[in-house]
Amino acid sequence: MITRRDLLKYAAGGLIAGALPLGRAARALAAEEARAGRILVVLELSGGNDGMNTIVPYGDDAYYKLRPTIGIRQKALRPLDDHWGFNPGLLGFERLWKNGELALMHGCGYEQPSFSHFTSMAYWQTATPNSGDEYGWFGRLADALSPSMKPNFLVNIDTAQSLAVKSRVHTPVVFDDPERFQRRVLAQEQGLIEQVQGGSKPNPALDYVNAVSLSAAEASSMVREAWTKYKTPVDYGIASLQLPKVAACINAGLPAQLYYLAFRNNAFDTHVQQPDLHQRLLSYMADAVHGFIRDMERLGQGDRVSVLAFSEFGRRAPENTNRGTDHGTANFMFFAGKGVKGGHYGKPVSLTQLDEGDNLIYTTDFRRVYATAIDGWMKGGCAEQVLKGKFEGFPVFAA
Amino acid sequence: MKKLVLVWMLSLSACWSTAQATDESAWAGDLSPIGAAEWNREKARHLLERAGFGGTPEEVDALAALSPQAAVRRLVYFEGAPADTLPPFDHSGIFDEGIDPFPPGRPATTALADKNGEALGIKVKASGNRPQQPIVNQFFYWLRASRLETERVAYWWGNRMVATPRPLQEKMALFWHGHFTSSEEKVRDYRKMLKQVELFQREGMGNFRTLLIAAAQDPAMLAYLDAGVNVKGSPNENFAREIMEMFTMGVGNYTEHDIREAARAFTGWNFVGLEFHADSAKHDDGEKTFFGQTARYDGVGIIDRILAAPATPQYISGKLYKFFVRDDLSPELRAALGSRLRESHYDIAPLLETIFLSKDFYADTSRGSRIKSPVEFVVSTYRKLGQTHLPGAPDFNRVTEALGQHLLFPPTVAGWSYGRSWITPSLLIERGNFALDLAFPDIEFLPEDRYPVYPTGAEIRAVHRRLRAGEDMISATRPVDEKAGDDMMAMSNKVDRAEAFNTRYASYRGWQMAIERVKPIVRDLPRLDLARMVLRKELKTPQAVVDYFAARFLSVPLSDATRQQLAASFEHELGSADVLASGTVLEEPLRVLLHLMLSRPEYQLG
Repeated sequence: MITRRDLLKYAAGGLIAGALPLGRAARALAAEEARAGRILVVLELSGGNDGMNTIVPYGDDAYYKLRPTIGIRQKALRPLDDHWGFNPGLLGFERLWKNGELALMHGCGYEQPSFSHFTSMAYWQTATPNSGDEYGWFGRLADALSPSMKPNFLVNIDTAQSLAVKSRVHTPVVFDDPERFQRRVLAQEQGLIEQVQGGSKPNPALDYVNAVSLSAAEASSMVREAWTKYKTPVDYGIASLQLPKVAACINAGLPAQLYYLAFRNNAFDTHVQQPDLHQRLLSYMADAVHGFIRDMERLGQGDRVSVLAFSEFGRRAPENTNRGTDHGTANFMFFAGKGVKGGHYGKPVSLTQLDEGDNLIYTTDFRRVYATAIDGWMKGGCAEQVLKGKFEGFPVFAA
Repeated sequence: MKKLVLVWMLSLSACWSTAQATDESAWAGDLSPIGAAEWNREKARHLLERAGFGGTPEEVDALAALSPQAAVRRLVYFEGAPADTLPPFDHSGIFDEGIDPFPPGRPATTALADKNGEALGIKVKASGNRPQQPIVNQFFYWLRASRLETERVAYWWGNRMVATPRPLQEKMALFWHGHFTSSEEKVRDYRKMLKQVELFQREGMGNFRTLLIAAAQDPAMLAYLDAGVNVKGSPNENFAREIMEMFTMGVGNYTEHDIREAARAFTGWNFVGLEFHADSAKHDDGEKTFFGQTARYDGVGIIDRILAAPATPQYISGKLYKFFVRDDLSPELRAALGSRLRESHYDIAPLLETIFLSKDFYADTSRGSRIKSPVEFVVSTYRKLGQTHLPGAPDFNRVTEALGQHLLFPPTVAGWSYGRSWITPSLLIERGNFALDLAFPDIEFLPEDRYPVYPTGAEIRAVHRRLRAGEDMISATRPVDEKAGDDMMAMSNKVDRAEAFNTRYASYRGWQMAIERVKPIVRDLPRLDLARMVLRKELKTPQAVVDYFAARFLSVPLSDATRQQLAASFEHELGSADVLASGTVLEEPLRVLLHLMLSRPEYQLG
């Protein structure tokens, strides 16, 4: 099989014109180029973002009946049209929307929803509601896109590795602070410190640490160099959500195509005194995503990168008595990027027909949105394999 | 039925162990006790590692000299262990009247000031610019001071782990801290956090029912899970859900209906100051249907129903097993451990005794198979090095935080996920970097309880410098890294200044007020004398030194190739193959060897 690298090598050597049958190889190359170029960044809004107070259906009276004290009045909103308005904190999203770079995916959820953060998040991270999987959906996507081990293909910027990136083939590059992602080592220790040896008896835990150790050595120098080289005039806001680190890696030409990030520590779990806090969280999130998209454009990478944001669930339709909301069900997911065809996708949830627990009834299986990311954006052609079932995508991206 | 299975398992394994007294390969899953003939130094070392934080070779020898029963009883019941003479926490004295109850945020504080003309015990100024400034200053003072004092509590606790003659007590407290989680990030009151740690230390090896009720009525817990908002007529499910999902049974053993009804039973539970308070006016005294039975349950009534459910002892003992022994737990073993806990009426110590004496605990697949948590990694390193207290530098909190386990700041209500998630490429590197700082102190160390780094240190320092350069408050408190062009400026950087107060100034002033009152952490370094360690053992060759270090620090053997490489490198550094003759130049080469050894993948396992 001819690999892309081979082709480039031949081309560089001036051999390609005479020596190779061009047709098939060129087509394969074109397909691989399309695939190779694209980058997907997934942002987890942990804690359960309140979708109803994020993209507000101010044109629906039922909304204000469900949210008598924390419902956001029309004049405070940033209107999208005569029915929907952005939470006042979502200036960044409003800017993306006006550029046609933001897709709102309505009513995302799944059958028999769990109200536990950890259970529901595990369902989303493995894409197996009411079941489970040893590997995360993002890890399985990595395995499908590159069935052989490709160093630094899958990146998870967080303090601990997410279940979503657990992969059969790839060792995810997990780091938090690029400046600390560096083994400090004395000259006389070079060559010794990163040597790895198998144990004398079988020990899966040791095998695991050994594998991580090998990946750490290479990844750390790449990431650190990327971070040192990166400077940006773009304002990502107060909490940049690791997105500048992604920008640095992309800027440096890291081979990674899959990045997984989280707005950490269950931040969106707004049971009590929600309005100020929620608006602030949304402003951080939208500022960061908007900044990132602009930064990608600045770096000439705008066409290569899309962001997908989600929460493990939405919140209960009626507010609670503490100016907050409890764990709920259906919710918005978001795509942002230059490649996105901005607009509404999926059927909006009903605010009057709730389930017996006063929850919104989902209209879109969240795996349809994952399928959109996998086949629509990444052109993987492997959504069914990754998601272990057929899920129809949305036309968010050009075919 | 379950009991029968247990009896059958025990008798079966008893047959095995008499037939094949020395075959340890079949020990996995066998809860019968290890025999005196099978007890040795390696097993004593494993016991101390898991039921404590490891120790020096001398401490291992002392345990190995006992019978296995006596060794386990020494750890579990402190039989023959020295008394605990460590001092209680030394308060700095940062609390002011008026601070409690502390509002949930700055906006809530100033709203209170708008309404009442005072907040946090401080009055709005009569006139002049920024009349609410002293109140907002006080808000940030407590935020910073409580956080810094909480770091001192973590230091105090970490020191106990290093110094205590009863390490299992602290290890169990650590287990419960990850189980009944609360975080200073939300609680914002070091006094409550301290009180919770003391609860885990006091009751952590006692009775689970006692502990569960105390934890559910603990002020830090009630604050962390918003119990105060759960009142008659508007039950809040958060608290009831976490009690069942996280603290007792795990998902799949109750319905959403059970949660709603349990929430009603917990209505009125709250705290006043540092004490539990059940407010009968806010309690829903009506009938609740819980687990299929209807009664006028209160919170303790619900807890007793949960404790009677078969899932609960299995969930608790299974979690303990995974913490102390191995990740993989068969349904049979889980059932057997659950029965053990139920038979002891939820007394925890007998279950621990069973586990630590069992052949399963000493099986090949159990030993050296567990990734040490960051706190265990740091504490056990100090203990194995023979340190008798927790050094002030490297900073214990910064190190464990960077490694992913910041005491008193667990990331979510689920606590920390143990096992493989402790090791990522960057976390593995951090562990090695800690080892380097032990071997060769970091001269660029800054004490972050004085010099503001986290979370907004750069901003605080910038405000400080600008004010002292004569800038006015508006100018001095502009964002540190102002980007050009208003239309590209992020929203979160635009909204800042209100007329009544300046937030960035308060953030800065709060830091000044806090460091004035929070006592500093003494920044002493670990005192190592590796040369003495080696010379006392009369180790003659580089290979003998490497093997001694490996035996002292590692639970997993090194491959021959690694041993030889390390010995060769050590000999090269030493400039001699004669260790005894090189006594005066030994220390530095040994420090390099220590760093290499502690950075190895093998050292991450215990």
